[in-house]
Amino acid sequence: MNKYLQVFKISFQQEFAYRISFIMWRVRNILQIFVVFFLWDTIFYFQGRELFGYDREKILTYVFGLIFVKAFVLSSRAQDVSGEISRGEIINHLLKPISYFKYWLTRDLSSKVLNLVFAAGEFSFLYIILKPPFYFQSNPLYIVVFLVSICAAILTYFLLLFIVDSIPFWAPEMGWGGHFLVTVILVEFLSGSLFPLDILPITIQNVLNFTPFPYLIFFPLQVYLGKITGILLFKGLVISFAWILVMWYLMKRIWEKGLKAYQAYGR
Amino acid sequence: MADKLRNSTRRLNYYLRIWLVMNKNAFMMVLAQKKVLVIFLTGKIIRFAFYIAFLFFLVKGAGSLAGYNSTQAIFFFLSFLIIDTTSQFLFREVYRFRSYVVNGDFDLILAKPVSPLFRVLLGGADVIDLITLPPLFFATIYVGGLLSPSLAEVCIYLLLLVSGFLITTAFHIIVISFGIITLEVDHTIMIYRDLSSMGRFPIDIYKEPLKSILTYFIPVALMMSFPAKGLMGLVGPLGIIISVGISVAALIISLRFWEYALKQYTSASS
Repeated sequence: MNKYLQVFKISFQQEFAYRISFIMWRVRNILQIFVVFFLWDTIFYFQGRELFGYDREKILTYVFGLIFVKAFVLSSRAQDVSGEISRGEIINHLLKPISYFKYWLTRDLSSKVLNLVFAAGEFSFLYIILKPPFYFQSNPLYIVVFLVSICAAILTYFLLLFIVDSIPFWAPEMGWGGHFLVTVILVEFLSGSLFPLDILPITIQNVLNFTPFPYLIFFPLQVYLGKITGILLFKGLVISFAWILVMWYLMKRIWEKGLKAYQAYGR
Repeated sequence: MADKLRNSTRRLNYYLRIWLVMNKNAFMMVLAQKKVLVIFLTGKIIRFAFYIAFLFFLVKGAGSLAGYNSTQAIFFFLSFLIIDTTSQFLFREVYRFRSYVVNGDFDLILAKPVSPLFRVLLGGADVIDLITLPPLFFATIYVGGLLSPSLAEVCIYLLLLVSGFLITTAFHIIVISFGIITLEVDHTIMIYRDLSSMGRFPIDIYKEPLKSILTYFIPVALMMSFPAKGLMGLVGPLGIIISVGISVAALIISLRFWEYALKQYTSASS
């Protein structure tokens, strides 16, 4: 346990080694929130307007909630794994008495803690300058389920990254391509980080609900807003945890096969 | 006068030939990795389809977006893509510029009998963006046609597109100039892209003072929104003059900044 605590500390300090890089990334997050905020603010400009099941207060809470949920779920170091594989550097780790999976999970958590601190600052800054109406969830059950769904989302995203990271075992040149397709395109659109998925037709929503993507951002925020209750809430949690099991199994199988096929190019 | 014209033509041909050679090499490098090409191309097509679907369902549900209907909103997005994709196609080398400075390879570029700005700005066109441009042009012409513009409005649209393109060129020159001084390119270019992506939607969605900042200070509105507004007959003569004036001024300022940055280059990495 102590060695992972040390990994956590070193990884946390490492984030400060590239301060400008980190700050620039957070600045980019603010700019992205600006676009989404003003887009929805314009659509809900008229007081009392209800659209796609949201009023102005709830939609702007969704936008502000994105700051925290994205910092929790999508900030990750595990995307560097594919580079380690394609450069052959993974060999150094495999020879050490440490679980490679737990090593990156620890580094991920370290990154999330730092991003969360900055997200809190950005939230306050944007809240002061934009002054949006905010929906505070008062039901403790929803808050607990919201936190549980965030934990599930963190694990889901981590497993998804580890599966995508395994591509260079077979095709070293395709590491970034796989990330581009899955994390930049599919996750951005299908997780609800750009827009709430309930603006889509119900048929598309029903299909999406059986994929892991909505459970990364959209589902936790829906739980916080109290828009998913009763049996639907239960169903969402079951699907979310089912995906964790499926992806855990897939990840293990893929990595077993990948390590056998791996020729450690670059080493 | 005739001599000057002949010299200019010869110089233009010289640079055109160099551009063709450089980009033939860049294309061959990408085409050598066909699987990567297919993945990135697929990703770009999916992203395009997702955005169009998002805008369509959003405006269909909301009735309008800042007063624009779904066809107009999609046309704003397509015009944004025309400028964005064309600049990415031509200026992809900017994304690789940092390594030239950090590794000292920039010295080799400076030593050659070619404008270094031309080399680092236009030296590595992106074949993936080239493939996506023709369908994008057709889509823009088709959706633009649905708005029934007059010939004058089409001419204004094209003029404002050129003006927008000059601004994006100026931004890229400023980014590489910063790269020489600070060694930071990767995040600066991504911040530029985040800023320019604010023009993905009509600029009217932003409130003051942000709207004015995005129009006059960081001219994202002039670059991305004005051309589409021009086609819809929403830009008057003063707007056209301001747009062209600011784009020319931005280009001149960026070229001056580039000259200043070059003087700061110490060749420390070589």
